[in-house]
Amino acid sequence: MTKFAIVLYTCLILISGGFGCDTGKQAAPPRKAPEGQQLLIGLIPEQNLFRQMERYEPLARYLSQKTGMQIALKILPHYGNIIDNFVSGKIDGAFFGSFSYTLAHAKFGVQVIARPEDRDGKSTYHGLIFVRKDSGIKFIQHMAGKRFAFVDRATTAGYLLPLAYFKQHRVDYRSYLKEIYYTGTHEDAIYDVLNKKADIGAAKNTVYERLAETDSRIKGELVILERSPDVPENGLAVRQDLDEAVKRKLTEVLLNMQNDAEGRSVLETFGARKFIATSDADYQPVYRYEREIGLNLATYDYRNE
Amino acid sequence: MKKKIIIGLSAFSLIFLLSSVYTIATIEHATTKMDNLIRLHQVEILREHLLIQIKRTQSDMYLKGTPYARSIDTIVNHMRTMGDIVTMCFSCHHAEPVARRLTDLKGKVEDYKINLSRALTMNANAKRLRAEEDHAFQVGTELIDEVENITQMANVKLEQKTQAASQEITRTKIMLYILVVAVPVAVIGLSILFIRGFTTPAHEILSATRQLKKGDLSYRIEGLKDEFGEVAASFNEMAESIKDDYLKMQWAEQLVVLGEMAGGLAHEIKNPLAGIKASMEVLTMDTTLTEENRDVLLKGVEQIKRIEVLLKALLNFARPPKPHFMPADVNSVLDVTIGLALRHPQFATKDSKTISVVKDYDERLPKTMADPQQLQQVFMNLLLNAADAMPDGGTISVQTSHDDSVRSLHIQIIDTGSGVDETVVDKIFQPFFTTKPQGTGLGLAITKRLIEQHGGSINVKNNHAKGVAFMITLPIRDREEVQTI
Repeated sequence: MTKFAIVLYTCLILISGGFGCDTGKQAAPPRKAPEGQQLLIGLIPEQNLFRQMERYEPLARYLSQKTGMQIALKILPHYGNIIDNFVSGKIDGAFFGSFSYTLAHAKFGVQVIARPEDRDGKSTYHGLIFVRKDSGIKFIQHMAGKRFAFVDRATTAGYLLPLAYFKQHRVDYRSYLKEIYYTGTHEDAIYDVLNKKADIGAAKNTVYERLAETDSRIKGELVILERSPDVPENGLAVRQDLDEAVKRKLTEVLLNMQNDAEGRSVLETFGARKFIATSDADYQPVYRYEREIGLNLATYDYRNE
Repeated sequence: MKKKIIIGLSAFSLIFLLSSVYTIATIEHATTKMDNLIRLHQVEILREHLLIQIKRTQSDMYLKGTPYARSIDTIVNHMRTMGDIVTMCFSCHHAEPVARRLTDLKGKVEDYKINLSRALTMNANAKRLRAEEDHAFQVGTELIDEVENITQMANVKLEQKTQAASQEITRTKIMLYILVVAVPVAVIGLSILFIRGFTTPAHEILSATRQLKKGDLSYRIEGLKDEFGEVAASFNEMAESIKDDYLKMQWAEQLVVLGEMAGGLAHEIKNPLAGIKASMEVLTMDTTLTEENRDVLLKGVEQIKRIEVLLKALLNFARPPKPHFMPADVNSVLDVTIGLALRHPQFATKDSKTISVVKDYDERLPKTMADPQQLQQVFMNLLLNAADAMPDGGTISVQTSHDDSVRSLHIQIIDTGSGVDETVVDKIFQPFFTTKPQGTGLGLAITKRLIEQHGGSINVKNNHAKGVAFMITLPIRDREEVQTI
């Protein structure tokens, strides 16, 4: 009975996801299978561009070695650029943020295959809204006429959360705030508030906690006002028309990394315990959040203002 | 010579080893200097490269937002190359102040990267964006200043190190040139020394051989050492032996000539002389002869008898009778001879109390094959000589001994007389050499010849105190050995 329920549930998810994605989807440009088994993977600027590259490079080397393909990385200055690159057919896959994945999935049907699970067994993150303790900002009322540092319009933590927060308080942030801008990285949003370049900021908790480990000012001088629901951690999604064998190989290698010493070492550097299988169904909290906010993914303009 | 060869080889090996070690060490030292210099220049290139990368990144910043802006991948690559160059700087060992400055530089590069990243990823109003870009550009400018400062400072040190290395290399070159000249000179010098060490003794030996060939049998090699010394000693022994043989041969030839001459002369004189003597004896019986004339005739007969004795001795020397070998007890022969000698007029005319004969015999003296008659003649001659040398009396010691290891008998007859002048010791056995007014000079020559007929030898030497000692050596031989002669 239990098995039957799982199979039924999985089928429903797949069907609903598949049909859902078809709605309003733009047709992705026809792509051939990567020649000479070359794969180009895009990276979003979750943190400083260079640090982001340094974090993902060992993983790319490991995947190249294990899959026999040449896997190259392409760092992008904005979250939305990933979607642009899919449009232009320049990349075969990317480590998406949860919101940018749902956008890409909705537009091009990209397929998520795996995401990391951290050392504590968590494979989700949530967004945070934070201010300096000495800013005097404690409620929405205190935010009037202040400067808000978003991350990017294509981020859950760095944009959807503040959007939901202001919607919840029925405030039009564009007129309510003195200035809004997009830092591009979660790291910069946190440091801008810490360094008083902005009064309020939004970023993902995993970056916030990682920076707090090395910079005591973050926990000492900042205070969190709001958090978003948990959403899946940045996962690897590939274009829909990628060769099935390649997808399977990539998935197999990622999911078994923890089983060999070299893989464990790469995971350690990456800051994860293992990769876990991920499907579109895991993004239901994001879809739900988007619905609550009232976003239409098909028409949503992910480009920063 | 072996020692010299070992020393020579060791010296050459040592020179070769030392020069090789020095050459290798020098080359190693010079190449290390060159290597360090090249590394320093590489570091210089690295610094220039770093400067270019920073300036290139700065230009990326300038072009940002223009139609000529480079792709984000290019900018990121420029920046990462910059980071790699700084990381490479840490792969070398640096002094503490330099390491500290490099750490500062690395920090500034990281800071530049953060600011650059911000400027590239941020979307904000123009003022904020401009402020971020200006800040990143400012950080980049400071970084350029810092690298230029470091380059300037390093260039001064590099120049100094280049000059020092250049001087060191010049010194090394000079030393190598000196070595190239000095080592062959040293080797040639040592070779000449060693070759002379071999050729000089060889020349000396060759020269001695030529002297010998010319007939200078007295030439001896002196002053050579080692193996050459041994060769010289052997040569000297050989020369001595050749000289002995030559003298013996000369002696033998003299004997032959003398024997033939004396034999012929004696034979020719003997018969006429016998006739003269018989005629003179007949004349002495003439009754008409006055007493005075008879005495003259008798004196003439006496002189003829002396001539006959001399002729007999001459014949005995020239054609000595062949020895009749038989087992002989030398001690017994000596006893008999001494007994006879004591009754000889030469002993008898003296006071018997003043000449004594002391016997010191080897009681275990083995018998040897000899002619007792000839031995008796030898011993008698020597005893009479001894008595003759002691006009005022003295002691004659007669000693016998034997040596089984060389199978020989030794007989010594020692007197306490006046001895022999050292200058004539060598001539004492030559025929007709005598120091006595009435001597024939044949006694010791005959004695020597008889002893030599027995395979023995006779020598003479002055005693330390006084008198002379005649030493006879006879081989101990059995009948078979004598028959094979």
